[in-house]
Amino acid sequence: MHHVLLDQWSHRTSPLHARDPRAKIVALIVFLVVLATTRAYAWLTLGMEAALLVAGVLIANLPIGGLLLRAMAVLPFSLTFGVVSWAAGDHVRAIGLVEKSYLSTAAVLLVIATTPLPLLLGGFEALGIPRLLVLIAQFLYRYLFVVSEQAQHSRLAAACRQGNQQHRRIRFKAATGAVAVLFARSYYRAEGIHRAMMARGFHGKLTALKPLRFRTSDGLFTLAIAGLLILVSTQ
Amino acid sequence: MTNVIEVRNLSFQYEDGTKALDNVNFTLAEGETVALLGANGSGKTTFILQLNGILSGQGQITICGLPLGKDTLRQIRAKIGMVFQDSDEQLFMPTVLEDVAFGPLNQGLSEQLAVERAKLALEQAGLGHVLDKAPYHLSAGEKRRAALAGVLAMDPEILVLDEPTTFLDPPAQRNLLNLLSNLPQAKIIVTHNTRFASALATRAGFFDKGRLVGEGPIDEIVRRYEWSYSALPEAPDLRYSAQRRF
Repeated sequence: MHHVLLDQWSHRTSPLHARDPRAKIVALIVFLVVLATTRAYAWLTLGMEAALLVAGVLIANLPIGGLLLRAMAVLPFSLTFGVVSWAAGDHVRAIGLVEKSYLSTAAVLLVIATTPLPLLLGGFEALGIPRLLVLIAQFLYRYLFVVSEQAQHSRLAAACRQGNQQHRRIRFKAATGAVAVLFARSYYRAEGIHRAMMARGFHGKLTALKPLRFRTSDGLFTLAIAGLLILVSTQ
Repeated sequence: MTNVIEVRNLSFQYEDGTKALDNVNFTLAEGETVALLGANGSGKTTFILQLNGILSGQGQITICGLPLGKDTLRQIRAKIGMVFQDSDEQLFMPTVLEDVAFGPLNQGLSEQLAVERAKLALEQAGLGHVLDKAPYHLSAGEKRRAALAGVLAMDPEILVLDEPTTFLDPPAQRNLLNLLSNLPQAKIIVTHNTRFASALATRAGFFDKGRLVGEGPIDEIVRRYEWSYSALPEAPDLRYSAQRRF
């Protein structure tokens, strides 16, 4: 199913996949800070930051179109605020808002797509993020898949009953009902998964098969990225 | 022979007030296989979920000599391997190997030992060739065996299987039957498939409205409660009526 694509990507092998999650998280934070402090009209700097991101995607051997397309998920939100800023006459801020949010999302996706979830969460925990938050994140991630799976089943069932050939108003009404049913069904499904996890001794932590190992190369990677970004930001 | 499960006066009521179990008494001896039969909603699944503390009612449950309670929950969950009806709920890790290693890692085994256990369990389940596959790429039969491997990797003393033949075609059912019949653990099998149950179990219990109303040799229980598909009334000839338009 398509929603597990990021999971599949995260299990590929590349120099970026091989880096310790902590190294990637720190590099991501540096990237986000540098991006946030870049002036909206500093096109050269923004272009270099985007190029760095694209280089990361290529090194990670990920489909660039697929990743950049998925990063567009943020646009409905950022465009709304962008339009508001544009309407208020602040064109620079509007453009900056959209481009920065897009690049930030692409960067986050790059890290997710190169790090299997248990390792990524392990990295966050090792960096001092409270365990409760890590736990919530891992359940949220798992249950997003559950909801998505249920939605696909419901859509298929509706299509089998020619639900997609009705009038738009009826379709909308059916869709709103389906959303309620979807969440109820997902709730029961999630409960089933939780039970199965508990039955196999789950005690609040997803243990990764590969324990985290921060090597010298990971340190050098983080330093190199941070240095490069600082250099870019001073242009 | 010692009992690995002893249940005394177990009752359970859901939050909405539905009484799901009513004064159930049950025992399972070491190495024994028991089938639990009964209508949908009669309390079979609720009963097995009590055995490892996923649901908890009133009464006494002893597993391998350990009274079920908060302090013993972790030990008891290591002793009872539960295979759920829907394998998709049980397979939640990105790869089959990681999923099967989930239980041993939770038991505190090292990564190396957990992987060894997982590989062994997958070999035992005939799935040694799918280690790095994503669970959702497996067939229904393979998913069921992967779910079973996930439980076997924990080296449990008791296996509890909820509707193990659901979604399985006849060859997959036969494979599962062969696999289960070679496992030494004591087993509880919740099923509607009486032929499958008869091939594995010597004893059966029959649930009705939350009560364990009958126990005995499986053939006798099936006969007493008319609990086989051969007991269904003969189907009417629908060849002509099927042409009608509703």
